Amino acid sequence: MTPFELAEPRSLREAAVLLTNGGEPAHAIAGGTALMLMMKAGVFQPKRLVSLRAIEPQHSEINVLPGGGLRIGAMATLRSLERSVLVKQAAPVITRTLKTLSNVRVRNVATLGGHLAHGDPHMDLPPVLTALGAHVRTLSPAGERTLAVGEVYTGYYETCLADDELIAELIVPPQTGWRSAYFKITTRAADDWPTLGIAVALRMEANVVREARLVVSAATNTPTRLSAAAGVLLGATPDAAILARCGDAAFAEVELVGDVHGSAPYKQELLRVYVARAIRGALVDRL
Amino acid sequence: MNAPTSIVGQPLPRLEARAKVSGRAEYVHNMRVPNMLHAKVFRSTLAHGRIRSIDVGAARAMPGVFAVYTGEDIRKLIAEPYYGPAFHDQPILAIDKVRYVGEPVAVVLAADVHVADNAAALITAQYDELAAVYGEVEAMNSRAVVHEVLKPAGTFADLKYLKDKRDTNIALDFHLRRGDVKKAFAGADHVFEHTFTTQQVLHLPLESFATIAEPGDGSLLLHSSTQSPSFVRTEIARLFGWPDNKVRVKVPYLGGGFGAKVYVKSEALAAACAMLARRPVKYALTLEEQFYMITKHATTLRIKSGVMKDGKITARECEVWWNGGAYADIGPRVTQKSGFTAPGPYDIDHVHIDSYALYTHLPPAGALRGFGIPQLVWAYESHTDMIARELKIDPLAIRRKNILREGRPQATGTPMKDAALELVLERLATRMQWDKGFDKGTGTVKRGRGIAIGFKASISPTTSMAIVNISADGSCALYSSTVDMGQGSDTAMAQMVAEVTGIPIEKITVVHPDTDVTPYDMATLGSRSTFHMGHAVKNAAEDARDKLYALARDVGLSGETTLIPDIFRKKYGMLAGNIVGVGSFIPGYTPPNADGQTDNATPFWMIGATGAEVEVDTETGEFKVTRLVNLVDVGKPINPAIMETQISGATVMQLGFTLQEQMHFTNGQVTNASLADYKIPGIRDIPPMENEAVDAEQRSGPFGAKGVGESGTFGVSPAIANAIDDAVGVRLTSLPLTAEAVFRGLAKKAGRELL
Repeated sequence: MTPFELAEPRSLREAAVLLTNGGEPAHAIAGGTALMLMMKAGVFQPKRLVSLRAIEPQHSEINVLPGGGLRIGAMATLRSLERSVLVKQAAPVITRTLKTLSNVRVRNVATLGGHLAHGDPHMDLPPVLTALGAHVRTLSPAGERTLAVGEVYTGYYETCLADDELIAELIVPPQTGWRSAYFKITTRAADDWPTLGIAVALRMEANVVREARLVVSAATNTPTRLSAAAGVLLGATPDAAILARCGDAAFAEVELVGDVHGSAPYKQELLRVYVARAIRGALVDRL
Repeated sequence: MNAPTSIVGQPLPRLEARAKVSGRAEYVHNMRVPNMLHAKVFRSTLAHGRIRSIDVGAARAMPGVFAVYTGEDIRKLIAEPYYGPAFHDQPILAIDKVRYVGEPVAVVLAADVHVADNAAALITAQYDELAAVYGEVEAMNSRAVVHEVLKPAGTFADLKYLKDKRDTNIALDFHLRRGDVKKAFAGADHVFEHTFTTQQVLHLPLESFATIAEPGDGSLLLHSSTQSPSFVRTEIARLFGWPDNKVRVKVPYLGGGFGAKVYVKSEALAAACAMLARRPVKYALTLEEQFYMITKHATTLRIKSGVMKDGKITARECEVWWNGGAYADIGPRVTQKSGFTAPGPYDIDHVHIDSYALYTHLPPAGALRGFGIPQLVWAYESHTDMIARELKIDPLAIRRKNILREGRPQATGTPMKDAALELVLERLATRMQWDKGFDKGTGTVKRGRGIAIGFKASISPTTSMAIVNISADGSCALYSSTVDMGQGSDTAMAQMVAEVTGIPIEKITVVHPDTDVTPYDMATLGSRSTFHMGHAVKNAAEDARDKLYALARDVGLSGETTLIPDIFRKKYGMLAGNIVGVGSFIPGYTPPNADGQTDNATPFWMIGATGAEVEVDTETGEFKVTRLVNLVDVGKPINPAIMETQISGATVMQLGFTLQEQMHFTNGQVTNASLADYKIPGIRDIPPMENEAVDAEQRSGPFGAKGVGESGTFGVSPAIANAIDDAVGVRLTSLPLTAEAVFRGLAKKAGRELL
């Protein structure tokens, strides 16, 4: 790793100044779990890093919004989300997802903002938060804006965030009436990158699905909505036949990428099976 | 006071445990010496090519760079800068040609390691690309040849016939002939033939390769993370044309070795750089660079058996191709010393083995925890179950029928002695409750179980020496060149000294290898230390005890009953002097004849068996190992607690090679050279595991003990494959065993073909 200069501002405002007016190009670093690996591998060689770890504590806070949604500061560690009673009450699928997200050492330092801004398609929370209909609020010299999590990702390791734009917080809407699940499928070690990630959120009225969001990740360049599969569910009571049709629809509507975790044809087969399993998983959410 | 206590056989805590967990244990990786430079290498990006030019200008011009060297600079220092235990084929830096992607081509020295690293990235090289060969079977007759001329090391008499052989990739061919397989095949009720493969994997000790070389006046001091200090000393001395005593090799603890750190690895380049620079040089590899240093052989194994209706195996033909990569390292010895156990631990009258060490344009392969045995057991124990299934014979029954019983000759003709094959198999059957019904699962979850048993000969003949030094105050030091790389040898050896001398273990220190101080040892490898060094240590301790008793007698005291300080005080008038006991050991051995036959192939046999239970998801092919039972014959364990961690550690390592680990290549370039992309087992990957050493004794071993480090690896892979077959009727013949392979097998059975 090449030596670099590290700034550790005490406020977000100060950080913004360092990021934009420092002369030399600078890059923000939060937990550093992803960037440090890239730096060790030599694929990222920053001259200056601006650490966000010492900025105001409110950027790490987890709050419940009126109506039952969540507002989570971008500097909240994944571990703090995992252990948060508020998160567990509002969206237990997030809590469950975090249990198998990387390992506890990574979760202890990795932050929500860094996790969402990294753009690696193997990350676990982007598909989950896309399914939950969550948004991020970003800050930059140009001002602030609000984006659906699903809109952040534009390609493999590519996001729509500008170089001087930071994710400030995450807003998760109230999940009343929704049931959700995330299935992370690994084919080598238990703590490996997912071969496939599948997130499901269903709004149910009695036994009938009124709204459905299905998202596949890890084997696609970005978290990808499975609209045809979701369409099969609308107005239906998910029984074995519906689930099978859902799996077939997912199989047909998306083209997955093969890698060392599995060939593309095998991942398509996994998708077919796990879409149904994830829907079943969602149906037992909160029960 | 000095009467023997019973300390051997006790599960004592490791001597170094406190130092390790508190971060005080010394490793070369963490060491630095004054005025030290760091070496970082520039590696080949081509699998096979003639070097046209190397441009080091930009690297040399970088501020802070002390020097940049290429193979030509090394050649000015050492006329023939080639090393290796079996062949002198590996250049310190590439000369004329590159032979694998990742081969060191140039080296940068700088006081700042980051400067060295960045400067190495500025080096470029031009090559004339040559045809490359990657597959071991393909290499047999390939037009692409890795080495134009073979250069066997003079130290091995039996390799001399390979000298100056041209235009072949076969580094060594080993053949064993016993009986008449052709005739036996003709007379057999059934003949079965199957082919198996294993993938290239690597050791990945968490402490990577590291050497610090300090130049002296026509001499060198090496601090090295090596399993073979004595060999390193001799080989570095040979390169420089010096007597052995001009090279001093010191070894602290190792953060793992597993066979990676045997023979010369990081030492030759560090030594050459230090002599060229006239300054201490540290050459420490990153974890990622290990993918370019040494690996485990990928193999193709063809095995053919003649079997009678009742399951009795009458003949077996084995052909094994070992993918040795670009430099032979110890591969030829793997081919030979493991090759002769290829037919398995079975009593077969007619045996025919051909085993080939092959050069290819891949990173070199050497010894990795089992010295080739896990690859062989994978093949013969999968084969055993395939035969049993075909003949509708129970897998345990067919093994019982054919197992080599005590006293019966193995394929080499050597009779089995103190080899508890039957007992290990029976204990495994009992623990698995093999005779009881087994829940085969329901719906989309099917269950299965499988067993496998393997054996290994110890490398021989090899020598160990030890010194036991008793001080006047009754404390004691053991001088041995056995390297404690995590296997707990310090504790086991100290237990032996305590047992013989009666000196409490707290008063015994183990002096770590230092070739100027500790005597010769062949190396810490192949599970040989407990037996070989154990004997040397026991002999040295007995010698010291006898000398102490003699000293006591000289001054009219009883050695048995007098406190040690009182003996010395009486002799020397004060607490002065010491007693030095020496011990050495070399086992008996008969070299095999041209047909691979010998009456004494090994000083002892290692036995390991594994039973596995699995659950297979028939919708996805995903499977879970729900139980692993490991049985071994380690003789009488010196330290049962350490013994058990050796068994479980070996099993977990082989579990990684069975289910997860694989080096992926594109045009000879490994494409997953990191721990993020090459997955070793984590704590959540370890299934419920039971380990047991059967009640056995190695009568020729020290205190009835023998080696233990590798036995846990033997049966793991085939036991799991056999269990998968038992669950869903899918037979996998290639490692690693993946969910996708099971899925494809299930699809095929259902008449579907996946693209």
